[in-house]
Amino acid sequence: MRALAGRRNVLALAGLVLLVLPALANPYILYVANMALIYVILAVGLNVLLGYAGQFAFANAALFGIGAYATGLLQVRLGLSFWIAFPAAVVVTTLIGLVVALPALRLSGLYLALVTLAFAQLTQWLMLNWERVTFGAGGFKVPPLTFGPLPAALGLYYLSLVLAGLLVGGAWNTVRSGIGRALVAVRDSEVAAEALAIDLARYKAIAFSISALYAGVAGGLYSAILSFVAPEGFDLFQMVVQFSMVVVGGLGSVWGSVLGAGLLVTLQEALRAFKGGQEIAFGLVLMVCIVFLPDGIISLVKRRARGWEEPLRAPDRRA
Amino acid sequence: MGGAPARPGPSSVSRLVVRDVAIAFGGVVALDGVDLELGAAEIRGVIGPNGAGKTTLLNVICGINPPDRGEITLDALPLVGLKPSVIAAHGLGRTFQATQLFRGMTVLENVMTGLHGRLDEGVLGAVFRSRRLCDAEAQAAARAREVLAFVGMEKFEERLATELSFGQQRVIEIARALISEPRVLLLDEPAVGLSLNRIVEVDSLMRRIRDERGVSILLIEHVIRLVMDVSDRITVLSHGRKIAEGRPEAIRIDAAVIEAYLGKDLHAGSPAP
Repeated sequence: MRALAGRRNVLALAGLVLLVLPALANPYILYVANMALIYVILAVGLNVLLGYAGQFAFANAALFGIGAYATGLLQVRLGLSFWIAFPAAVVVTTLIGLVVALPALRLSGLYLALVTLAFAQLTQWLMLNWERVTFGAGGFKVPPLTFGPLPAALGLYYLSLVLAGLLVGGAWNTVRSGIGRALVAVRDSEVAAEALAIDLARYKAIAFSISALYAGVAGGLYSAILSFVAPEGFDLFQMVVQFSMVVVGGLGSVWGSVLGAGLLVTLQEALRAFKGGQEIAFGLVLMVCIVFLPDGIISLVKRRARGWEEPLRAPDRRA
Repeated sequence: MGGAPARPGPSSVSRLVVRDVAIAFGGVVALDGVDLELGAAEIRGVIGPNGAGKTTLLNVICGINPPDRGEITLDALPLVGLKPSVIAAHGLGRTFQATQLFRGMTVLENVMTGLHGRLDEGVLGAVFRSRRLCDAEAQAAARAREVLAFVGMEKFEERLATELSFGQQRVIEIARALISEPRVLLLDEPAVGLSLNRIVEVDSLMRRIRDERGVSILLIEHVIRLVMDVSDRITVLSHGRKIAEGRPEAIRIDAAVIEAYLGKDLHAGSPAP
């Protein structure tokens, strides 16, 4: 049983279930699964920045929003097709993420958190008030997607599945390489990293652009699944949701983020009927995890089943 | 530079040359025109009372604090103005007074990280985990094991760095600096807080690094017995200036050195040790 629950088997099974899910599930379940895939992309990208590179930044919700707005606005304002608007939006989001990385080259800890928080608020403000471009508080509708003969929801689901698979795999490979070690080195001791020929600016920029790229992809998919873009989805609660996924799953663990995002999206949907229930449940889960499972749910899996080892460890909580 | 003749040392080739280096922090002069030439495969001890500028000298050499004036060259390559990571890539390794192992890594991963400047993986190779990358990773792990065996720590490769004793962490840090085959190694108080047995081990490790790997070592140390025993030559700093330089036997009886450590009055009243 313990050997059967190894990572390879579980991933193969999960992949298979996700592939055939549209044939088994009703449209609602398919929608929830699609949302989970989008949040998996977000959480994995954020974990590279937060868990591996140790950069305490609050920009991810805003970048997610920028990805969604750019994908939508390029279609609505410039009449581009989704297939051009989406990749272009990802590029734009990644570049903006790199700009956000600039203060990180000089600031760390609390100061970086504050600067990125200011960036998030500024982005919110622009979405709300730059009405000539963003349509303001009411948001705007995005033209529905078409996937040839496939129903739109099904096409979008498979697009999300392929992208999530590629991005999770890419992140997993990246953290297993010298890049992953360099990121953790920057997190654990900047001065020692530099003494080992690791260029701090380069690796901070890599971490920020990975998280921004992932947020851009997730944002584009999000705008398509809702066919609607509005500011409120990208506020501070969105940031709390993403932080929770990373922390509940396990900081510094790619598979932990996959797990955390899947679990919390499910929880969020299960509590949709209870007003205020989502916020309370998120707060509770986050607290319980920090107190009793500080290395996240993935640490339970690693203890109970074989074959879930990952290189590198979560940041030291005492440091 | 005016054609100053090369000074004779243990070796005629100087690897690391520090010339007239000065730095002040907010008006406090930490180094005031220090010269130092480190020969090939030489162990140079740097001693001096607290506040003499020893650690500042290391930080200036490795690029953390650029000097206000002066020149530093490593095998004739000027280092002043380069970033610490670039200087490290040119073959300068160092350890820290307060050990700076990466807490989220195993011993093996820590040492492999030391190979960063030599590892040619590329972002795309990493993302797609290319054949070339897998080979490079396997080679890096093999080299890390080789260096761990050299320092006698191969048993601990899977342990988290933070689970090891203070002295073991020190040695791992030296291994991490050694794996990239630096030409010059700066050691900042490797023996502080170690037991006598451990100090003897650090002593013989330094000799083996010099003799078997041909690395020049600049050693800052408060444990005078270790410095006297292991150094080929010793440089003595006091108040940011070099007050003496020479073989350990000569330094031991140098009047200026004794004065710097013990004070003038004390020295006047007592014979040299």
